[in-house]
Amino acid sequence: MSRSEPDRAGGAARKGRVVRGAGGEREAAPDPVVSTVNLVKIYQNGGVPVPAVRGVDLRVEPGEFVAIMGPSGSGKSTLVHMLGGLDVRTSGEIWLDGRRADTLGESAWALLRRQKIGFVFQFFNLVANMTVADNVELPALLAGASPRVARERREHLLGALGLTDRAGAAPAQLAGGEQQRVALARALANRPSLLLADEPTGNLDSRNTRDVLRLLGEVHRDGQTIILVTHDARVASLADRVVSLLDGQIVDDGAVGAARRRPRGTAGDVVELRG
Amino acid sequence: MSTVRASVRWIRADLRARRGQALLAVLSVAGIVTALITSATLLEDGTNPWRALFAQTRGAHVWIHTRDAPDVTALSRLPGVEQVAGPYRTAPVTLALGGKKSPVALRGTAAEPPRVAAPLVREGRWLRPDDTGGVVVERSFAEALGLRVGGPFTVTALNGATHPLIVVGLAESADQGFYPEWTPGLAWTLPATLTRIEPAPGRSESVTGLRLADGEETLPAVHGAVTLLDEQIQRMSTWREVRASMELDNRLLGLLLALFGAAGLVAAALAIANATGGRVLTQTRDIATLKSLGYTRGQVFAVLVAEHGALGLLGIALGLVCGRLVTTLALDGLPILPLSPAPLLAITGGTAAVVLAAVALPAWRGGRTPPIPAAQVAPPRGRLSRLARLALLLRLPPALVLGTRDAFTRRTPALLTIVGLAVPMMMITIGLGCWATLDDFLRHPERVGQAAALTVHPGRLTAEDAARIARADPDVLAVHPGSEVSALEPEQTRSVLARALGTSAEPYPFAVVEGRMFAARGEAVAGQGLLDLLGAGIGDRVRMTVGGTPLIVHIVGRVVEPDHDGEVLSLGMDSLAAKDAVPPQFHALVLKQGADPAAVRARLLAASGEALEVRRTVNPAERLAVIRVVIVALTVVLALLGLANLLTASALGLRDHALDLAVLKAMGLTPRQVAATLVTGTGLPVVLGVVAGTAAGASAVAGLIDLQGRTSGVGAGIGRTPSAAALAAAAGIAIGAALLVALIPARRAARAQVPVTAR
Amino acid sequence: MRPFLLALLAKEPAHGYELKQALEQIFGSAYPSPNIGQIYVTLGRLEKDGLVRAVDVEQPNRPNKKVYHLTAAGREALDAWADEPTEGPRVRDEFFMKLVLAPMTGISDRMTLINRQRRHYLALMRDLNELAGRTDPADRVALLLIEGAMLHLQADLDWLDRCQEDLS
Repeated sequence: MSRSEPDRAGGAARKGRVVRGAGGEREAAPDPVVSTVNLVKIYQNGGVPVPAVRGVDLRVEPGEFVAIMGPSGSGKSTLVHMLGGLDVRTSGEIWLDGRRADTLGESAWALLRRQKIGFVFQFFNLVANMTVADNVELPALLAGASPRVARERREHLLGALGLTDRAGAAPAQLAGGEQQRVALARALANRPSLLLADEPTGNLDSRNTRDVLRLLGEVHRDGQTIILVTHDARVASLADRVVSLLDGQIVDDGAVGAARRRPRGTAGDVVELRG
Repeated sequence: MSTVRASVRWIRADLRARRGQALLAVLSVAGIVTALITSATLLEDGTNPWRALFAQTRGAHVWIHTRDAPDVTALSRLPGVEQVAGPYRTAPVTLALGGKKSPVALRGTAAEPPRVAAPLVREGRWLRPDDTGGVVVERSFAEALGLRVGGPFTVTALNGATHPLIVVGLAESADQGFYPEWTPGLAWTLPATLTRIEPAPGRSESVTGLRLADGEETLPAVHGAVTLLDEQIQRMSTWREVRASMELDNRLLGLLLALFGAAGLVAAALAIANATGGRVLTQTRDIATLKSLGYTRGQVFAVLVAEHGALGLLGIALGLVCGRLVTTLALDGLPILPLSPAPLLAITGGTAAVVLAAVALPAWRGGRTPPIPAAQVAPPRGRLSRLARLALLLRLPPALVLGTRDAFTRRTPALLTIVGLAVPMMMITIGLGCWATLDDFLRHPERVGQAAALTVHPGRLTAEDAARIARADPDVLAVHPGSEVSALEPEQTRSVLARALGTSAEPYPFAVVEGRMFAARGEAVAGQGLLDLLGAGIGDRVRMTVGGTPLIVHIVGRVVEPDHDGEVLSLGMDSLAAKDAVPPQFHALVLKQGADPAAVRARLLAASGEALEVRRTVNPAERLAVIRVVIVALTVVLALLGLANLLTASALGLRDHALDLAVLKAMGLTPRQVAATLVTGTGLPVVLGVVAGTAAGASAVAGLIDLQGRTSGVGAGIGRTPSAAALAAAAGIAIGAALLVALIPARRAARAQVPVTAR
Repeated sequence: MRPFLLALLAKEPAHGYELKQALEQIFGSAYPSPNIGQIYVTLGRLEKDGLVRAVDVEQPNRPNKKVYHLTAAGREALDAWADEPTEGPRVRDEFFMKLVLAPMTGISDRMTLINRQRRHYLALMRDLNELAGRTDPADRVALLLIEGAMLHLQADLDWLDRCQEDLS
């Protein structure tokens, strides 16, 4: 369960492969939600090639909650942007729900995003001119839902996130944590098969961070597949699995296990007393 | 499309957030469309009344004036002749109205309207069999004289007898041109009434119209008629002359308006492109968010085009309504028909195409926005522009230096702002030039060939007496004897006016703009229209028949000629045959500087015991008075366009530099200095644009008006550049207003608390 | 535990069981519930050092109980404890020793060490997260304690990143 070996890259994305994971290597599984093969991204900075992602093989199964960690500049944001089609890969393969996606054009990616991918960004990126309700209904309408269905789904989501009474407000009237909750509602509006979050708590204080994390945990328990980029260990520790990036390469990929000492239920168990 | 609903939400929210800007965009387009429709309507009305009238009245292509009634059967057998109108007996009478006497051709017509060339009744009604004292007057004549239905129409026949008649209707006709370009005025009455007024057949003529199968083929019919009637013919006219005379009036106006409209369209396109581009730049983040939600590049493009294009189309619709209202309400003094469908469609479609093209470019750029909304869109910055470095060298205040740097951080928008302001400013300058030209027409009529403010016709006196009375008036500077005869051009198909005025030794002060004044017998000067008609140049000798006498005319110069499309030959009285020159038909009076023509006219009438006939010269500028209204209206529209550009530039500048503001304040700039920085940033392109526009307009205006003058036959040499003071005032007001407009958001931004963070 | 007991006695004299109850009440679940025997052992040592003084109080039908009072010397020791800056956590780290020494001796690979340590820290973080989730939100002291531990862990993780960047 250390770094992915390059030799299994070729077949990783194929349908019905044996899943390798914490549970062992036996049972056949459905298609992974995401799988990448030797994914590379090289930016051109004034003619000088700057590699951001250097050969990443990643496989995320349905229902998994994966945190991508790494120091700034390690390529973690670039990686999720490529997974969502916001950035174009330089080489390598991206498979989404068993379909190859890296060869898609910009428009096809957009259509795919509409149906399968929800995005949450660090700066919320709510459309400033639209109300909270409109922001949340937008993706549903975009995907072709009727106004009534979109409204029902919005009411349900805002209700679940405790924002029902802010539906008519403009995003600017909301606190940062509330804005991020709205952004989360918007990302979930189309029941995407994959939720991509890029530093969702990077701009929040610890209280709001806790709220957003609690919500992420809840949607994950409901079966939502999540890939989350963060440099915050508290956020990352919520995930089933943490992928550590360094210089555009995966240096560690594994489940977050239990600590060696089993918790017995109080704070005293993890805080050592001196004296 | 499934995205429609989502897009509609987005557009609605965006429009709600920038109502003022959206309204301005709509108004800009509406203003331009209104201007275009108004100008097109005037233009069409200027070129088209003949066509419409001719079609409506089933007009005759050729009119023949003969001494006695011609053989209608023989005429109808001429080649190409389809139908014959008349012959109508027509007698020359004089209409006396308020001391003014106007010659009228009174035409006897049956109560039943003829099948060919039936006058079109516009007001009142047509003649009835029992209308013994009724008369229907041609409308342009009635308007010129202020005649109304039910009003008196007292005519004096050649025998001196006076007959009181009543106007029962006003009608339009394609039989002859509009009064006063085409004299005498036309009026219709019953044949019985005509006989009563002018019983002598020898003092009347017979008028016959020929309607041809093919209007282009007038020559066979004309030649046939000349062969058939020979000596009988007194005068002939074809539809071409009628049309030409009708065209004169509004063509200058229409073309100027069209010029303004076209340039306004360019300005509107720039304003819309700037507004859309600015909006797209400020929305980059939202657009990126949309793309991350699953909008494709094409859909973003479509949404932007739909939103901004819809504003433009709304403006077009509003402009169509306004244009119709303006043409029917504001110009109700003129007999204007609504614009015909073809040009209306062209304007609508053309404006729509321009608007969509102007929107499409920034929308396409918007569609290419990368879908990563986290990426900050920072303006290119850092290096001081050369101008800013210069400002620094000159030790200018910091606000100026920083503002100068800000002004050009984004080169393309800065350039667009400059051009977007320069074009309206150029058009405003050209408008000022037109205004100055009109002023010049009025203030210095001698420069447009109207040195004489009054013409005196002897009336019941002899020419010598008339000249004596005129010379006796203290305000009269000079009295020039004059006569007007018709001259036939070499091919003998087209008659033009030959105006003899002054003598070679003592010439009338014509406005000679090329060549020289005539100085000997046989020399003459001509208007541009005549030169074009003859295909002659200055220095050519042309054989013409002047007043029936063959004459070799040496054209030695070109004059500014506002009458008859410039198709006038001007020469000395000594060049005319004696029968035309003695006695002179009239005297042209040049008044002293500052003299009031109306007062002089009243004195002359009094001195002669109302025996003289004194006419004031109609200044062409008076006919063009409506253009002043149009110039003011267009200036407003253009100012609106400039404002739209300015607001865009201001909003963009604010957005680009909002983050800098916090830093500037932290560095210790006072709010006033911050505001000054912002105003300088917006103001600099404004100043450049206004100055460039004014300079371009000022250098173009004289040439444009002269070009216009040349094509309309008046001839080059009338264009005037607005005075330096007017230019400076216009530029100053524009810049001042712009800075004031830029100051409001700048002050607000300077006072606002701007956090030093991203977003 | 000595300074805690001194601090409690500075407020008012108390017997052993009262002290245990006070500690539980103040720290709640943040600290493990103290053993009564441990408290009496500590009190005995404090008495021997002259920092507290025990007074027997007679109780009807029950054995006498000892009520402890703070002495002047105890007061001084308490003041000295409060005024003295507290030692920061873990300046010399055992893991760092491993990281430096392991490759020299060929025991282990640095990357493996760092990754293993990171997972351990993340697991700890996860425990803390769960703990925070179970803790009564009104228990400010406990939550602050947990948050402090989390921040320490975060710092350790950041430091691991630095090690990985510089040593790889």
